[in-house]
Amino acid sequence: MTWAQTIVDALKENEISLIAYVPDSSIHQVTKLVDADEYFHLVSATREEEALGIAAGAYAAGRNAAVFMQSSGFGNSINAIAGLAIPSRIPIPIFINLRGEHGEFNIAQVTMGRSTRPILDVLGVPHYTIDSEDRLEEKIKGALKLCYASREPLALCMTPLLHGGKNV
Amino acid sequence: MFRYSATKRILSHLDQEPVVSNLGPTSDELWHASDRDRNFYTYGSMGLCSSIALGMALSCDEKVISLDGDGSILMNLGTIATIGREAPSNLIVVVWDNEQWAQTGHQKSHTAFGTDLEMVAKSNGLEKSFTVSDEEELDSVLMQALSEEGPWFIVAKIQDEPYLPVAPVQPEHTLHRFRQTFVTEPDRVG
Repeated sequence: MTWAQTIVDALKENEISLIAYVPDSSIHQVTKLVDADEYFHLVSATREEEALGIAAGAYAAGRNAAVFMQSSGFGNSINAIAGLAIPSRIPIPIFINLRGEHGEFNIAQVTMGRSTRPILDVLGVPHYTIDSEDRLEEKIKGALKLCYASREPLALCMTPLLHGGKNV
Repeated sequence: MFRYSATKRILSHLDQEPVVSNLGPTSDELWHASDRDRNFYTYGSMGLCSSIALGMALSCDEKVISLDGDGSILMNLGTIATIGREAPSNLIVVVWDNEQWAQTGHQKSHTAFGTDLEMVAKSNGLEKSFTVSDEEELDSVLMQALSEEGPWFIVAKIQDEPYLPVAPVQPEHTLHRFRQTFVTEPDRVG
């Protein structure tokens, strides 16, 4: 099974049926599976904080929702996490493609990529780095279980060592 | 038109429909008008009121009402494009438009300089977009919006009025109470 299919299966197991996202070339490997599967409603947001708002609304109305973005867009979403998901205790799994890692070619991606996990730390958002397929199913399922048990947003940071990164 | 009175009038037409309110006085006034289980007050994340309502509309069958503001939705005009793209038939966005950021010192907003939110919505495919300037007009469009398919986008022009006391609301409680009306099983502990 591919890493992307493992994530899709874990989403279903947790009845996460609404995915709000801003496109990313690496995460596309997951979102194209989501888009082709009638179980899911894939919502294209124009900006990452909007995606978090949509996911929060879905959860409030009883539907589990996750968000997909890249690390540059994480920078656009911080106030939605700090001012909505955390104080309201809304469990939203946030899948982040970490740019600025091994093989990065774009200098403009480096600083935000490097800053993403430290910012998550300061926010108090638990996060796990997924950089290989080793014990992937266990890691993803365990993280999602924790997210809903704690009723907090939680981030899964995926690196090019997992997904191959973006080629020039 | 004054927002608090218009808010009370909107609520008089509602039964169990979810209402999401923009941060600040809009949430306070909704609470004072009627503190319903199906009210989702926001106290941060400025700009996301109608995005939250969109997520709800895609997740339930009832009409969902967003009570947004001009300054707030100007931060997130992209969500109007997403509403147009998703076109949820059960979403009603009301934008209280006082043409200013009133809470921060009455600085004029872009709608005071010609930005026409009704036209923004129309150009994003929300054909049922209207601007209303008194309660009778608001009433008439809202009654239609509650009975006919949307999405609906209603720009309600309002005037200044004194603020009511801040509503004693906790975000965690708001979320839990609201969600419990949709999800019957309790959150499991232990």
